Amino acid sequence: MNFLMRLDRRWLYVIVFIVILWPLIVPMGIPFRVSPGTMDAFKVIDSVKPGETVLMSIDYSVGGSPDIDPQAQAVFRYLMKKNVKVVLVAFVDQGVQFAEKMISQQETLGKKYGEDFVNLGFVAGVEVAISAFAENIPKVFPKDNRGNSIDSLPIMKGITSVKDFKLVTEFATGIPGPAEWIRQVGTKYKVPIVSGVVTVMYPQSLPYVQSKQLAGLMGGLRGAAEFEKASKTPGLATAAMDAQSMGHLAIVLFIVLGNIAYQMEKRRPVQK
Amino acid sequence: MSMSFATWLGALATLAVYSFLYKPNKIFSFFEHIYVGVGAGYGIVFGYNAIVRQGWEPMLKGKGILIVPMILGVLLFTRFFKSVNWVSRLPLAFLVGLGAALSMKAIESDFLVQIRATMIPWSSLNSILLVLGTVSALAYFFFTFPDNKAVRSTALFGRWFLMAAFGAAFGNAVMGRISLVIGELQFLFKDWIHLIK
Repeated sequence: MNFLMRLDRRWLYVIVFIVILWPLIVPMGIPFRVSPGTMDAFKVIDSVKPGETVLMSIDYSVGGSPDIDPQAQAVFRYLMKKNVKVVLVAFVDQGVQFAEKMISQQETLGKKYGEDFVNLGFVAGVEVAISAFAENIPKVFPKDNRGNSIDSLPIMKGITSVKDFKLVTEFATGIPGPAEWIRQVGTKYKVPIVSGVVTVMYPQSLPYVQSKQLAGLMGGLRGAAEFEKASKTPGLATAAMDAQSMGHLAIVLFIVLGNIAYQMEKRRPVQK
Repeated sequence: MSMSFATWLGALATLAVYSFLYKPNKIFSFFEHIYVGVGAGYGIVFGYNAIVRQGWEPMLKGKGILIVPMILGVLLFTRFFKSVNWVSRLPLAFLVGLGAALSMKAIESDFLVQIRATMIPWSSLNSILLVLGTVSALAYFFFTFPDNKAVRSTALFGRWFLMAAFGAAFGNAVMGRISLVIGELQFLFKDWIHLIK
């Protein structure tokens, strides 16, 4: 065990790299179950009827995108499949690009901008902006991200405040996140909110599910895979679950071996 | 292999950043600086566009009241000039007041509703654990109570719950980091060299 205490940490990187990459190339099909939070999220999203309008707030940055972008993509694809109209907005500047990427993929499949979806763009001010947006959307966004007047877009007919959405979904890597949306929208307008957060935010967001302030909660890449499983639309996140499980196994092994080596080192008699 | 210039650039940048895991090097530093620069530039462009679209243009179209927040915004920059830096406190005070007012909604959403959600029937092991966990974890933070055995025992119980919560948080942190690695490997081996089908 002595060599473990002196092991170059770069070997651990190599092992983690191989252990994660291998299942991505050769899928193993390790089963996983859908957590109650994601199942709740799926049920609420699934209950939205074709033609109704849902808000998607893309509040994540590039740094955390591999963990949360698959969630937003899975939800957006499912809503498009159901012919639900989607209004996208961002309260984090980088969110605009992710929204634009998602809608451009759907445009190639024949969905129409301004009818099936719209990207309103970014507005600065975080919680203050959410509050203003919730109260009067055309006032905050007289134009969408592509410069079209909001009044000219068929999808925005009859939508003036957040109350006009059947459902609010928001995807966050930090602030604004579920807490801000619940404070400014959930409490005042009583619109159901489904939240998707990066994995590190998941435990701190769970109390909002328990209190029913969130209608559903998805956590990180795992949440995306669970949503794909629940909606029977497997994608990149499902393919990544084997790698996630193997990566965890490697980390658990490192922690156990590290602790064994540490305890043995501690009990070794000191040489005089 | 991808023929997209953007994908190649992204892949090379990813490899350059990961090279730090071997040891700090000049290629990593170069791309680190590029990342910071691009991030700052992106922020400036979006900030500028936001001001033009939501402040300047509507103001020119007759919403004169928007001059007030525009001026307050400009006054924030006075902090860079020593003789008038006190002026920046005015818009800052406005922002603090606004933030505090909006946060008042937290009394309901983060306080009252959360307390109500803890008052649940003890009908399952989960609900019992939830109530006991909340009460004992709060007892751990009783710093001004008389030191008696009941409070000490409850606080000790609360510490176990806190440890379990920290463990869950750490587990989620590990899971999140692995997700980020998976995302990057999918980009490198799927989008770039097409090794993942």
